[in-house]
Amino acid sequence: MSDRIFGAVGLALGIFYLWAATIIPDSFMSDVVGPRAFPYIVGAIICICAIIFLILPDPDPVWPGLRDLAEIIFAGAVMFLYGWALSPAGFVVPTVFATAYLTWRLGTPPLWSLVTGAATSVGIYVVFHLVLGLSLAKGPWGF
Amino acid sequence: MLSNLGDGFLIAMTWQNLLLALMGCFLGTLMGALPGLGPANGVAILIPIAFSLGLGPTASLILLTSVYYGAMYGGRISSILLNIPGDEPAMMTCLDGYPMARQGLAGEALTLSGIASFVGAFFATWGLVLLAPQLVKIALLFGPAEYFVLFTLAFATLGGISSTNQAKSAFAAALGLGIAMIGSDSQTGSQRFTFGEIHLYDGIDFLIAIVGLFALSEVFIFLEHHKGGAVGNSGAMKIGRIMPDWPMVRRCIPTMGRGTVIGFIAGVLPGAGASLGSFLAYSVERSTVDPDNKTFGKGDPRGVAAPEAGNNAASGGALVPMLALGVPGSGTTAVLLAVLLQLNITPGPLLFQKNPDIVWGLIAALFIGNVMLLLMNIPMVGLFTRVLLVPTRILMPVVAMISFVGIYSITGSTFDVMLMVGFGLMGWVLRKLDVPMVPIILGILLGNEMEVNMRRAMTISDGDWSIFVGSPLAIVLWVVAIAGFLAPIVVGRVLRRKQAALSDEIAEGD
Amino acid sequence: MTFKTTFAAAAVLMTALLPVGAQAEFKAENPQCIAPSNPGGGWDYICRTTAKYLFDLGLIDDAMQVTNMSGGGGGVAFAHVTKERNEDNNLIVAASMSTSARIAQGIYEGATKESVHWLATFGAEYGAIAVDADSEYQSLNQIMDAIKADPRSVGIAGGSSVGGYDHIKPMLLAQAAGVEDVTKLKYVAFSGGGEAMTGLLSGSVQALSGDLSEMLGFLESGDIRIVAILSPERLSGHPDIPTAKEQGYDVIGANWRGLYMPAGASDEAKEFWKNAIQTMTESDAFQADLKAASIEPFNNFGADMDAYAAKTIEDVRTLSKEIGIIQ
Repeated sequence: MSDRIFGAVGLALGIFYLWAATIIPDSFMSDVVGPRAFPYIVGAIICICAIIFLILPDPDPVWPGLRDLAEIIFAGAVMFLYGWALSPAGFVVPTVFATAYLTWRLGTPPLWSLVTGAATSVGIYVVFHLVLGLSLAKGPWGF
Repeated sequence: MLSNLGDGFLIAMTWQNLLLALMGCFLGTLMGALPGLGPANGVAILIPIAFSLGLGPTASLILLTSVYYGAMYGGRISSILLNIPGDEPAMMTCLDGYPMARQGLAGEALTLSGIASFVGAFFATWGLVLLAPQLVKIALLFGPAEYFVLFTLAFATLGGISSTNQAKSAFAAALGLGIAMIGSDSQTGSQRFTFGEIHLYDGIDFLIAIVGLFALSEVFIFLEHHKGGAVGNSGAMKIGRIMPDWPMVRRCIPTMGRGTVIGFIAGVLPGAGASLGSFLAYSVERSTVDPDNKTFGKGDPRGVAAPEAGNNAASGGALVPMLALGVPGSGTTAVLLAVLLQLNITPGPLLFQKNPDIVWGLIAALFIGNVMLLLMNIPMVGLFTRVLLVPTRILMPVVAMISFVGIYSITGSTFDVMLMVGFGLMGWVLRKLDVPMVPIILGILLGNEMEVNMRRAMTISDGDWSIFVGSPLAIVLWVVAIAGFLAPIVVGRVLRRKQAALSDEIAEGD
Repeated sequence: MTFKTTFAAAAVLMTALLPVGAQAEFKAENPQCIAPSNPGGGWDYICRTTAKYLFDLGLIDDAMQVTNMSGGGGGVAFAHVTKERNEDNNLIVAASMSTSARIAQGIYEGATKESVHWLATFGAEYGAIAVDADSEYQSLNQIMDAIKADPRSVGIAGGSSVGGYDHIKPMLLAQAAGVEDVTKLKYVAFSGGGEAMTGLLSGSVQALSGDLSEMLGFLESGDIRIVAILSPERLSGHPDIPTAKEQGYDVIGANWRGLYMPAGASDEAKEFWKNAIQTMTESDAFQADLKAASIEPFNNFGADMDAYAAKTIEDVRTLSKEIGIIQ
């Protein structure tokens, strides 16, 4: 069943891709093949594979229960939030919380998670920013 | 020639230069091992440092080539220990390196891959010394049509590499190619699949995809398996011994030889590069010694030695077109080329005559860096494997954060960070569905070159498709590609019948 | 970290030693130069050279980082600058004839001359047409005759995308030769001068359209033959290369080299960079470097540069209409 759903989603994706390829704007001059030919081939392969999944599905994998699924979705959300928070809040503070959340959800006691978060954040800041000289997000406090 | 090399060594062997090489090797290994930072970024990051130190041309080159080779060595470490490639050429090392680590052979896998890296890089450097002028001719045999067929070959031999289902490999490859199409079309400048989103105009960096698909999806897998504190299966990972026993090494000697040759040739071709080198080395090795897929992908030491010899040989080979033609064969050589230009040295057919001191100094630097890396890496294996003693509940979040930082510090864009999370979630779903990650990355890496070469070939032939079988070389490549595509299907079918009696022993999904 | 301190000390020393008139209140911090191409091409050369001399001459304290951002014939970098970094005071971008050509042809979406601040030109080089050393074509006339007979018979490689300046040059020549529909020319776009050269050397194409500097190494090594240079008269440094004009095609292809920066940068920053580049251009070492790369001096700064950018964009627009590649 999983593969059938996957096939349907894949087919939809392939068709969307082919449609998106048709609306690629033309430049005033083009080469012989043009910017659409290769995407058409790629889209067609996606569709063919998706149809194969629909017809010949593999056995189902073990999907996590609702609780574990929520766990993953939450972790994803925290990471999104982290990416979003980087520009307004700088590197160090969001990193502490994001690391702490993940460590906590993987089974570390809350307090230790915070310690790990702080250590990771500062450690990365020292190695990447101070030693290697990479630019990290600068928040209102400059770190 | 050898006296030239001797002069090169005289130039390179000063205390200052040796110190720089040591530092470069160390920093390079570090950057290679960190997911998200690869050799190209490593070199690019250190360029300003080299110039601000006021180093001369030879000293700068020594520092930067040490970083380059160091990163090629370092990439394997996280592949083996964490199943997360430290850089894109190390992707193939995951396939057998990580299973070895899970069987308690992490130390052996690291040492063996270190030796394979050394062999690949060492002989590739000799190849560079002895054959550079002739090798340029090989690179020039490849026109746009031949490149297109070479890329097709790479995708055709994907089958069965990491998924039992050919259609899923093909789907993954198409997905990667589709992602590669996003952004400005390099031929006409038209926007493709960007939907007016300016962050997509430059296309999606493969680093974002590689880190998302490998590193973050790994975090999600751990989250899923974690049940109330006891973490999956990796809590009790054994480190094992550090030196592999002699029979294991001996078994890998022919493997390293083949990997070196294949990787070196792939490196010499501009536009193919180290990733293709390690990929082809792996898939050729698999079809040579393990055609029925019994041990590869399950922790075969040869599956670690082949891609590592391949990618390090390719990085040596990539210097050939860079020095002799001024055409970089990979992202890293592009950065090194930039360094040479900044030092006012224009690579080209006359570089060997005009600046022999630079060329031979550089080659000597490569030898020195290599020996240093081998000496440094083997004692450090014990140190690296300690990483496995860190509980996963702490290790995984740290790895995730390092991945974020790696991407953010290069692109400076929070959009890319969020995109990476998207790739992570997608990677988790696809892994559940047994869709392999390697073809996706390969598609993103090679997609644009593949398309552009197809279009160049079609322009040259005026829309006549027969150009793709227009030269003996192209036809040979097609034959290999078709054989590589069909073999796993045929062999697989025969084997499945044979193995029906044997129970399905290994059910590991990675 | 020891690097940083050593480097800072060196930088302080340099600024102390050099009488720098260009230092207004604005001070460059972590300056960056974007080369809108892969390493090895003309734009890359601009950034590398500028970065080197600005730092060597003590005009900037921090080493200038050079970033390669290829794609869309410079369009990716242009969009990046106008849309994401419009107020960046520490960013300069390499530009050349191709940049103005593409703005003129409307290839950078919505771009006009006003989208960016034009800083300077510091040199120009002439386009050239090369063939492989074993080529049957001995002169430009033979190539043009072959194109006249069949426009698809001669493949021409170039480092710019379709419709870019490397493409325009042979189209202009064909127009001068009396080819009716010059858009029929077989032009193969490579992603840079270096790659285009491999296209020629591997025999995939028959001719190469590019700038002289990209070809010199291969000319000296005897791999290629330059059949025409698109300059008004023969160059003093290469008197044996014939001009297109003397072979009967009155076409000049001058490719200027220069820089632009974001339009939204502060006036102090604009003034700072203008002065810095002008000081750099006046140094002897820089001029020697240009000469070595066979780039002729060609200087425009400030208001001159603004007027020059306007003029060159207008010229290409007229030209492109004439050839019939835009309406």
